[in-house]
Amino acid sequence: MSLLKVNNLKCHYQTDISTVKAVDGISFEIEEGEILGIVGESGSGKTTVALGIMGLLPENTAITGDIFYREQVISSLPESKMDRFRWKDIAIVFQNGLEVLNPVMKVGVQVTEPMRKHLDISPDKARSKCADLFRTVNLDPKWMDSYPHQLSGGMRQRVLLAMALSCDPKVLILDEVTSALDAFTRKEIRDLLVELQKKNGYTMLMISHDITFVSSVASRVFVMYSGRVVETGPVKDILVSPRHPYTRGLVHSTPDIFVYKDLWGIPGDFPAGDEFKGCPFSPRCTQKIEKCKEAPPDLIPIAGGRNIACHRGGVAGLLEAKNLSYRYRLPDRKYLKAVDNVDLEVGEGEVLAIVGQTGSGKSTLAHILANVMRPESGEVMFMDENVSKCNYGNRLNGVQIVFQDPFSSTSNRFTVLDAIKEPLDINKIGSKEDRLQMVKNALELVHLPGTGNFLSKYCGELSGGQRQRVALARAMVMQPKLLIADEITSALDVSTSANVLRLLKGLQNRRGFAMIYISHDLSMTLKIADRIAVMNHGKIVETGNSHDVMLSPSDEYTKRLVDSRIPV
Amino acid sequence: MANDRNSFVFRLLLTLFVILVINFFLPRMMPGDPFSTTSADEVGEEIIVMTEEQRLYYMNYYGLDRPLHEQFLVYMKNLMTGDLGRSIYYKMPVSDVIILHLPWTMLIVLGSTVISTIFGVFLGTLSAKNRKKGSDRIMMTGMIAFAEIPSFLLGLILLLFFSAYLRLFPLAGAITSFADYSGPAEHTWDILYHAFLPIVTLSLSQLTGVYLLTRNTLITVTTKDYIRTARAKGLGEKTVWTRHALRNALLPVVTRAGFMIGIMMGGVVLVESVFSYPGIGMILRCAVVGRDYPLIQGILLVIAVSILICNLLVDKIYSKLDPRVAI
Repeated sequence: MSLLKVNNLKCHYQTDISTVKAVDGISFEIEEGEILGIVGESGSGKTTVALGIMGLLPENTAITGDIFYREQVISSLPESKMDRFRWKDIAIVFQNGLEVLNPVMKVGVQVTEPMRKHLDISPDKARSKCADLFRTVNLDPKWMDSYPHQLSGGMRQRVLLAMALSCDPKVLILDEVTSALDAFTRKEIRDLLVELQKKNGYTMLMISHDITFVSSVASRVFVMYSGRVVETGPVKDILVSPRHPYTRGLVHSTPDIFVYKDLWGIPGDFPAGDEFKGCPFSPRCTQKIEKCKEAPPDLIPIAGGRNIACHRGGVAGLLEAKNLSYRYRLPDRKYLKAVDNVDLEVGEGEVLAIVGQTGSGKSTLAHILANVMRPESGEVMFMDENVSKCNYGNRLNGVQIVFQDPFSSTSNRFTVLDAIKEPLDINKIGSKEDRLQMVKNALELVHLPGTGNFLSKYCGELSGGQRQRVALARAMVMQPKLLIADEITSALDVSTSANVLRLLKGLQNRRGFAMIYISHDLSMTLKIADRIAVMNHGKIVETGNSHDVMLSPSDEYTKRLVDSRIPV
Repeated sequence: MANDRNSFVFRLLLTLFVILVINFFLPRMMPGDPFSTTSADEVGEEIIVMTEEQRLYYMNYYGLDRPLHEQFLVYMKNLMTGDLGRSIYYKMPVSDVIILHLPWTMLIVLGSTVISTIFGVFLGTLSAKNRKKGSDRIMMTGMIAFAEIPSFLLGLILLLFFSAYLRLFPLAGAITSFADYSGPAEHTWDILYHAFLPIVTLSLSQLTGVYLLTRNTLITVTTKDYIRTARAKGLGEKTVWTRHALRNALLPVVTRAGFMIGIMMGGVVLVESVFSYPGIGMILRCAVVGRDYPLIQGILLVIAVSILICNLLVDKIYSKLDPRVAI
């Protein structure tokens, strides 16, 4: 028997002009003593769920679905009956805000107020209990006689916590309890919650946009997006291998998980308008298909106690390489194994970095993946089709590669226009006007002028940074789903390479293509990569998310690579 | 802190000085002088037409023939010693005239402040609770339309209906003339009986303001997070409304009540005239008609000072009620 059960809860805010589906059919159960986390960015409907359980939604909300507490329906109780459950059975710790406590009442009075109402105890007893509660949440009882505005944010949050604990509730709902707090206070509150939970066995529903905070306390987590649950599962699994593109985006834009990575949010916004029928994430999704526009996906169980709501079953694989090998024949007739039995996978919209020292076979691998070279054995599958057979380099939405050296990859004698237009010309894509427009668009993407003057410049006249951007534009003009960037910054100075790299990552983030980024520079890759594959002597010796590879390398070679960074 | 206090006192004195200057010059800018009055206000009043010689004599007697700046200096000097001058019309010290009539004005002003605040808050709360329902809409429309009636017209209507037609209340005065009271209870009753209609008139004219303020503040307050917190605690609707919502919504109402006293001190002139109620409003009217410069100055000063005092009190009370403002 679960303590709290929510069954197909829908909360639609109705205004005169539109309906906002804040919560659109979510169900969950919390067992006694369990901590369930709900994460999602602001506006995903997390707080509405909390208020819905407490029966505190505004009058213009259309609520359907059932909420059970100990097998009793509490969702349709009248106010007076609901008041008996509020605070005594289910209490909520609100997000600390300036006006979440009554500004003209002393905080001690506000904490004792529910005790007097629900526990039927004398004022003196309530006051002494209040002092105990203050001590429990590490707050000096002398603050009982102060007003909310006299307390700091952290102290107010403690008061709110003490208030929620005052009637010994069975279920504790925590709504963004740490989001307005500094790092120290956040940690203290976290430790306090863990301790309280251990001691008193509270059942908690923890709501936050802070996935690290939730995962450090909760055992199971629900990921919400636009009023729907997109993924559920045990905390660790969700963090290590998020399956829904949204969860992945959320995890990847969390600085606590990707310490070294630059901050890149998930581009785009919630779908506007209530007539939108498809998957709510589809406008921001990098792997959407036709079906995603038509109907929202259902939450379906997958292995490992997880559920996912995605028409494509979660993050889809884009490129898969199996048993790739390639040998170069040396002058002494010996063979050098440049690529040695490599297996590789790249998901939709993912940035995989391949790092290794010079001569480790990275570029050879990149050329094979881009179908510039044929492997001796093994095969490369792109969108479940063989790269070499389907020639994905020759069509739009395929695979494109940007090479290391812009001076040799773009001809001096070509004008900018010709250099970028070349793949369109060769592959006979679009009319003459279309091609010009596509070139201009591509130039705009890489922040170069699309004017006639610049278009008719010769590549030889350009600087290194400009030329590498022209090379990038040539790849972008084919609108690739996978871009392979092979040491694209190694020929550039620090500042130019930083600019090009940010440009590239920005493009990737906005356009949502997947990328294989090949580099010998570990520091650079950490800034942009989601996953890192470390290559040595033609073999991939370690793969993992970039943070783990950097902080806890398991392979000897990786450790050496990490240590080889010159300390400043 | 000391600095704050000094600048506060300085500002207060400056305000007072500006008021005094205006008080002094404004009456003298009116055409005529105290001794050229030829009209009688009430039927049967004796009309005295002075000869030019007599006029000049009196002008000299009251010092009104001296240059204006000299008169002003004398006025200021006398004021320092607490001397407000002599009323030309009443032939007695201005301060005595004011002390005689001020209590009546205080009675109806304070009385109507209390009454309009109580009823305004009550109706405003009722309206806010029924927000978006028909009763709220009707009440609000009615109140706003009602507020458009000027207070003297309202007084006139009440006077004609209740006093002249129904004969329920007296037509004029603050007490029954030549009455012989058997005890303080009867005395009080007589005072209230006379003050009733003026108080009702003033209260009604202020009611809509309090009502709207209470209603709108309550509606804003009930959307605040702390109201949600109070609801979450399961305290019950009644406690949520009284202890949490109303307590916060009353803060601006208190401020308003303070300012209302000041505004009414000015507005009371017309209402007192309608009811012939012997407060300072009515004697101000007489003083203006008779160009009784010292009396006009004195009354205007009293009104201005009482407005200043009310503002000061509001500040003090507010900081007691709202801990956020307390120093």
